[in-house]
Amino acid sequence: MLQHPENFDVIVIGGGHAGTEAALAAARTGASTLLLTQSIETIGQMSCNPAIGGIGKSHLVREIDALDGVMGRAADLAGIHFRVLNASKGPAVRATRAQADRALYKQAVRSFIEHQANLKVFQQTVVDLLVERERVRGVVTQMGLRCLAPTVVLTTGTFLGGKIHIGFANQPGGRAGDSPANALAERLRALPFRVGRLKTGTPPRIDGRSVDYTVMTEQPGDEPTPNLSFLPARHPRQVPCHITETNPTTHDIIAAALDRSPLFTGVIEGTGPRYCPSIEDKVVRFADRVRHQIFVEPEGLDTPELYPNGISTSLPFDAQIAFVRSIKGFERAHITRPGYAIEYDYFDPRDLELSMQTKVIGGLFFAGQINGTTGYEEAAAQGLLAGLNAARQVAGLQPWFPRRDEAYLGVMIDDLTNLGTNEPYRMFTSRAEFRLRLRQDNADQRLTPIGRELGLVGDERWRAYADKRTRLLDVKSRLERWRVDPGSDVAAVLQANCGAQINRATTFLECLKRPEVSVDKLPELLTGIDTDIVRQVETEVKYEGYIQRQDDEIAKIRRHERISLPGELDYRVVQGLSNELRQKLSDARPTSLARAARIPGMTPAALSVLLVHAKKLRASA
Amino acid sequence: MTSLDTDTIAAVATPPGQGGIGIVRISGPRALAIGETLTGGGLQPRRASYREFVDSDAVIDRGIVLYFPKPNSFTGEDVVELQGHGGPVVLQMLLGATVGQGARLARPGEFTERAFVNDKLDLVQAEAVADLIASASVAAARGALRSLAGDFSKQVHEVDQAILKLRVYVEAAIDFPDEEVEFLEHGEVHRKLGGLLDGLAKLQRDGRQGVLLSQGITVALVGAPNVGKSSLFNRLTGEDTAIVTDIPGTTRDLLKVDLILDGLPVRLVDTAGLRKTTNPVELEGVRRAAGEASRADLVLEIRDLSVPAADPHDALRLPLATKRILVLNKTDLVSGAGSRSAADEVYISCLTGAGFDELKAAIKQQVGFAGEAATFSARRRHLVALQSTRVALERASAELAAKSPGEIIAEELKLAHLELGSITGEVTPDQLLGEIFSTFCIGK
Repeated sequence: MLQHPENFDVIVIGGGHAGTEAALAAARTGASTLLLTQSIETIGQMSCNPAIGGIGKSHLVREIDALDGVMGRAADLAGIHFRVLNASKGPAVRATRAQADRALYKQAVRSFIEHQANLKVFQQTVVDLLVERERVRGVVTQMGLRCLAPTVVLTTGTFLGGKIHIGFANQPGGRAGDSPANALAERLRALPFRVGRLKTGTPPRIDGRSVDYTVMTEQPGDEPTPNLSFLPARHPRQVPCHITETNPTTHDIIAAALDRSPLFTGVIEGTGPRYCPSIEDKVVRFADRVRHQIFVEPEGLDTPELYPNGISTSLPFDAQIAFVRSIKGFERAHITRPGYAIEYDYFDPRDLELSMQTKVIGGLFFAGQINGTTGYEEAAAQGLLAGLNAARQVAGLQPWFPRRDEAYLGVMIDDLTNLGTNEPYRMFTSRAEFRLRLRQDNADQRLTPIGRELGLVGDERWRAYADKRTRLLDVKSRLERWRVDPGSDVAAVLQANCGAQINRATTFLECLKRPEVSVDKLPELLTGIDTDIVRQVETEVKYEGYIQRQDDEIAKIRRHERISLPGELDYRVVQGLSNELRQKLSDARPTSLARAARIPGMTPAALSVLLVHAKKLRASA
Repeated sequence: MTSLDTDTIAAVATPPGQGGIGIVRISGPRALAIGETLTGGGLQPRRASYREFVDSDAVIDRGIVLYFPKPNSFTGEDVVELQGHGGPVVLQMLLGATVGQGARLARPGEFTERAFVNDKLDLVQAEAVADLIASASVAAARGALRSLAGDFSKQVHEVDQAILKLRVYVEAAIDFPDEEVEFLEHGEVHRKLGGLLDGLAKLQRDGRQGVLLSQGITVALVGAPNVGKSSLFNRLTGEDTAIVTDIPGTTRDLLKVDLILDGLPVRLVDTAGLRKTTNPVELEGVRRAAGEASRADLVLEIRDLSVPAADPHDALRLPLATKRILVLNKTDLVSGAGSRSAADEVYISCLTGAGFDELKAAIKQQVGFAGEAATFSARRRHLVALQSTRVALERASAELAAKSPGEIIAEELKLAHLELGSITGEVTPDQLLGEIFSTFCIGK
């Protein structure tokens, strides 16, 4: 059999968002890395909506960025419309979203790949894994080429067992016309992983030259244009988005076509996401609504194609044309690509360790949609972690992963590997119980020093980080030394602009702790001080109390984390557990008491029982 | 292995019911501080001191306090034991005082668990620990179920649902700001929070009354002179342990005694005989009797079987809701009586003691006392959780008033929900998201 002349440390299969961050992360730490993709042209492709970020998601992007991943920088280079979300709801849930030019985004990611040391790219479809004694040894490609490596990161998205539905017509397929990797799927199915089936959908794409923007609501981007990355970048030309909506006629057309809907006639078996229902779902489930919003997102600067976000559908094509043309501004719309639903296999992420290595095959890592997640950001974050840990394993190092109180990435991998998922998993801020400390603005402080130690963070970012840190400390100490006396000019401004009474001598930093005081209302006092930096100092002092309040809880979780539960523990013989909990624990196989505590239905008494049992096992071992 | 928790825990360590001595045990890093606050300080290791147990300047009890520094204690942590006079009322007050100072109510078997984790038990003893925790938690779960029975449960779940609904709005506004969700106006959140706090306050009041935790129940004896009130009073107090025999403020017309009736704390009030009178002293007695009876949880209306029924106009005008038992005395003088006792009508003889078991049973039945300590401690636990829920909601309300950002309000609401979750079961983030998706049409 043909063999690649080079032996690699890490092989990454797939060039999507998980695959690229995985390959880049492994290579950044110095591992000799091979990225195998079906098509070099599709590296960094956004197969669904042309946007990066959003609530919970931009938090992930910031964390990837803090670890020197590329998603944030690519989005900055490709972003043609930026908005800050939740500006008024507090710094922790504030988020950034960018509409990205697909072509520019792909180009940016490909450029990062092609300039990365230790990383080689090869265009071949992988058809088999080489496995020996429950360890991966490499892969076999379509042309029979063997590529050897002690670790393999699989990031094949929806390609496994993919099936596309448009009305009752369905065909095997990956996203957007790519061929499904069914040979590999067969191979993986033969391994003892638990497999589930999910569903997702896309809207029909529309030619922008055939729509009437004048009847839609224009939504301009924010000024000044925010950044996703901590590193400065120049954005391309900015364009507006538009908003239109469905109407009762649209809903009637959809209702009349439901008998030809694969979703409503039982043809589709996979579970779709609750937060991203198809338009037919919305019409049925919320029948009293007379309109549904549609965000009309540009696909790029150089293409007239539009992504009408909000009308994903698997109705037959004639129904798609009819309902689209019933929408204000779309009366003469030309559909460039039909909407469709895709069903695909995913592997139960409870069969993964927190490092993203599979529990079954040593050296084999999974990342991205294959683990039941949805979204570019979720995929990229997992990819980065999987690539890093594959490289660390080859280097003989312990795996690294953040905890729930350290990063959204930590929340996601803990949720996935501990609880699994039965719908495409998407990040929301409400999943993060410590979200007040997991902010966009401090992702670098949370992760960049760790990333530097892990070998992920390059010199340029490290310098930028150190510089920001110096400025933060500097501003903080200046505000701390700034005396504010009652009756002083500064006190007068605080009273006039914020309604804050200064009754005794204090410092400016102390004043910032008050809820009514905001640096944004005090421009005349803060001239010459970096606005972003002073805002961050304000957040830190205002949130100090809330964050300290969580410290006890976090300390407790860490103690619980140190109490490990053996993987082979037979929960059936543990006295004092309900049958329901026995079943849940047997399915989840939590690795520590802390993870057992997060299983729904767990009680303090059951945890006590597990603690005693774990200690007994250790004592008798 | 380190201890599972660093909380300081407290519990009544002696079996429930009557007993000559009752012990409240405190274990954990703050045990000494709490013990010293309640007993006046200066505790010496392993030295017994006779002290007053004081909470907020009120003397709850007097007794022996013992301090065992770690690691030479039962649990391996700092332990303080307060040994006082057994009665459950006093013990619950003492336990409440430790919670007021920052202790947490111990879970069933938790002292033993800590002893085990800190290597204070050998493996053979340890075998029993899991069983103990399991059986203790089964008993506790049963107690919790009983505490949660009926109206109390309904109200708790109403509060739980109200918090959930509010969180659905607040969290949806945070995670889905782009959606066409009709989010709550600031004033609306404020109004809903206010309603929640009111509901919770009522729930706390009802909850306390429901299991008569703070002071037990008050039973008033009423009836015409010479029907046997005093004999009944003496027989009831004579057969049971009196905690305090002298209550300040007692007049010769109104005699009060606290006693434990099969585990149920009862304050028995003997009232002056009721009859039409013009004597100003007697009038005052009657007035007090009427007041006492109308405030009582239960009235025992005593009649003499051997004389014709008294003029109904002599009967007390009691609030309709007042529960009462008609006690027909002197069965020894009337042949054939006494076999017809029911929950609201009991035949007794103070002379022979006949019918007293039935009377006690009727009292317990009328006030809904199941007689098991597990219900008692479960309700205590529930009330602590309700109080913590309320504190968190009050913080949310204060943050709202201070115009703090939505994420802070959301944080306080989450904590409130978490506290209540110790009664109703925790709502996971995924369940919350599920509620959001079923409430609003979300999704681009």
